[in-house]
Amino acid sequence: MQSEIVHDIEIAVPAVGDVPAVGAEEYDAHETAVRVRGLRKVFQVKHKAPGLRGSLAALWQTQTQTVLAVEDVNFAMRKGEMLAFIGPNGAGKSTTIKMLTGILYPSGGAATVLGYTPWQERRQLAYHIGSVFGQKPQLWYHLPAEDTFQLFARIYELDMVQFRRRRGFLVEAFQLHDLLNIPVRKLSLGQRMKCEIAASLLHGPRIVFLDEPTIGLDVIAKQQIREAIRTLNQEEGTTIFLTSHDTGDMESLCDRVVIINHGRVIFDAGMAELKRRYLRRKVIEVHFADGDASLGDGVGSRAEATAFAMPGVSVLQQDAFGMRLAFDSYRVPVDSVLQAVIATRPCTDITVTDPPLEEAIRRIYSE
Amino acid sequence: MDQFARAPVDSVDGGVPQVGTAAKVFLKYGSILYINLKNQLAYVWDALGRAFFIVVILYIFVQLWTAVYASQGSAVIAGLSLAATIWYFLVAEMIELGKFRHDVRISSEVKDGSIAYALVRPYHYLVYHFFNGLGETVMRMGLVLGFGLPVALYYGGVPPIQWATVPLVLLVLGLALLLDFIMASAIGLLAFVTEETASFRLIYQKLIFILGGLLLPLDFLPDWLQGPARILPFGLVTYAPAKLLVAFDMTQCLQVLGLQAVWITALGTGLLLQYNWAVRRLAVNGG
Repeated sequence: MQSEIVHDIEIAVPAVGDVPAVGAEEYDAHETAVRVRGLRKVFQVKHKAPGLRGSLAALWQTQTQTVLAVEDVNFAMRKGEMLAFIGPNGAGKSTTIKMLTGILYPSGGAATVLGYTPWQERRQLAYHIGSVFGQKPQLWYHLPAEDTFQLFARIYELDMVQFRRRRGFLVEAFQLHDLLNIPVRKLSLGQRMKCEIAASLLHGPRIVFLDEPTIGLDVIAKQQIREAIRTLNQEEGTTIFLTSHDTGDMESLCDRVVIINHGRVIFDAGMAELKRRYLRRKVIEVHFADGDASLGDGVGSRAEATAFAMPGVSVLQQDAFGMRLAFDSYRVPVDSVLQAVIATRPCTDITVTDPPLEEAIRRIYSE
Repeated sequence: MDQFARAPVDSVDGGVPQVGTAAKVFLKYGSILYINLKNQLAYVWDALGRAFFIVVILYIFVQLWTAVYASQGSAVIAGLSLAATIWYFLVAEMIELGKFRHDVRISSEVKDGSIAYALVRPYHYLVYHFFNGLGETVMRMGLVLGFGLPVALYYGGVPPIQWATVPLVLLVLGLALLLDFIMASAIGLLAFVTEETASFRLIYQKLIFILGGLLLPLDFLPDWLQGPARILPFGLVTYAPAKLLVAFDMTQCLQVLGLQAVWITALGTGLLLQYNWAVRRLAVNGG
C-alpha cells in the first residue's frame, strides 16, 4: 500500500549537487577510520565475439575491453560511525570494499583504513579489520563453528583468556548458546550467518566491513543480527561499514548513507537528510467518525457530495468510511492538509505515513 | 598515489599484537593443519575408498614384477630385490595417492574468486595452503599405508629397511612434499593467465609417472634417461623417498637432500614471484 506510485504528483527533487557532501569534510587524523581520495579501479576484461569463429579469432588476437569499475570515489569515515555504502548492482561497491580490505590493488587514488594503506599493508591491517562477505562462507562446513572459532583465535594470535572472554561476549550478543557445537552444515541459514558474523568479530576488529550480511534471512534473524551489530557499535565503538540492498538494515543501523553509481559517489549525507530530501511524498489515511451511520442512506451520493479536493493533493481513494490522500510535503505543508481534512468531517483516526526508503533510493539511482 | 599521514591504531581490548612470536606463528599454521585433519574425518568414507585402491594397484604390481624377476632369472635387478621393489611401490604409491592436489584447489580458488577472501586474513596464502594440504596428506598417506601394509608384508615379507635411517628418509619425504607443493601451486596459479590448468596438471602427472619413478624405479630406466631423471625435481618427489627407504645409501641421500634444497630454493623463489605478480593483477570474478 505504501509503495504505491502516484503518477499525478510531480515531485520536484533537488539535484544531487545540492546535497551537502559530508564526506568531503576532513576529520582529525585520530578521529578518522577510513579516508578515500580519488580511488579508481580499471579492469581489463577479455573480449570475445560469440561463436566458434569468435573463439578462433581470440586465439590469435586477444581483444581486451577496459571496464571502469570505480572511477573516482571520495569519502571519509569517523571512528565509531555506522555507514551504509549502497548502490545498484555493478556500481562499484564490492570493488571499493575489496580495495579497502586490501584484496585489490587500485589503479589510482589513495585510501587509508585505520592509518594503513590496505593493499600495501594488507597483513598488518588484517589484525584490525573484520569482514563478512554474505555470499562467501568462512566457517568450515562439516565442523562445528567452535572449531573455526578456535582456528581464528590462532590465526589472529589471541591468547586463550582473551579468546574465551571474547567468545562469551559474542555468544551473548548473537545468542549463539546452543549453536557452536553443531556442525555448520546442520544450522539454518540464519543461525549460520550469526555464527559467520561472530567469527569475524573474534579478534576485536576496530572496523567491520559487512557486505550483504542479512541476504536471504528471515525477519527474526535479520533483527537479531542488527541488534548484535548495534550492541557492538555502542559498547565497543566499532566502526561499521555496511553494504546492503536491504533498506531495513540501513535504516535500523546507519546514521549516514553514501550512494555510489557508475563508480562515483552520487550522494553522501545523513540518513535523516536522505529522507528529508527524497521522501517528501506523504500519504494520509483518514477514518471518518460517521462512516457507519451513513451506511444506510445512499453512500455514493453522500460521498460525492463531500468529495475532498485540495490543490496539490491527490485523492487515492474515498468512500463513506474514509479516504487516502497523497501529496508532496515540500509543496503542500502537512499541517494545512490535516486542517483541511479535519474541516471536512469528524474523524476517528488519521495516519500520516512516509513512503519506504526504497523509493528514495530508487529515485537517486535513476537520476 | 599520494599518501595520507598515518594515524595511530588504538590498542584494542581483546585485540592482537602486530608481530607474531615464533610460537604464535607455529600455533597459527599448526592449527590450520589440525582443523584440516578434523575436517577429513567428515570425509572418512571417501578417503577409505580411495585408500583401498592401493590394494588393487599393489596386487597388480606384485604379479607384474614377480613375472619380470622370474623371467630375468635373477634375484636382484639394478640393485633392487623383488621384496625391495614391492616395498618401493608401496611408498611411491603412498606419496602419489596421498599428496594433496594443490593445483586443483588453487586453480579453482583463482577461477571462482575465493582466493580474494583468503587475502583478508593475517597469514600468507601459500603457507596457509601448504599446511592445509599437509593435514589431508598425512591422513591419506596413513590410510594408504594401512591398506597397503598387509599386501606388501604378504608378498614382500619383512621390509628391507634400516630403521636408523628412517628419520633421514622422513626428512627427504617432508622436502619431497614441499617440492611437490611448489610445483603444483605454480600450476594452480597459472589459472590467472590460462583460466584452465588441467592440461598442465596432466603433463606434471606424466612427468612424475615416468621421470618421477612411479612407473619404474629410476634405477631400471636406460642410462641416457636415468641421468637427467636423477637431477630433475620429479624424481625427488616420488623416487627419492621410496628408494631411500628400501635401499638406503648415504651418498645418494646427501645428493638427494642437496638437490632438493636447490630445487626448493629455485622453484620456491619463482613461485613467490609468480604469486606476487598474480595478486597484483587480481581481478575478482563476480565482484
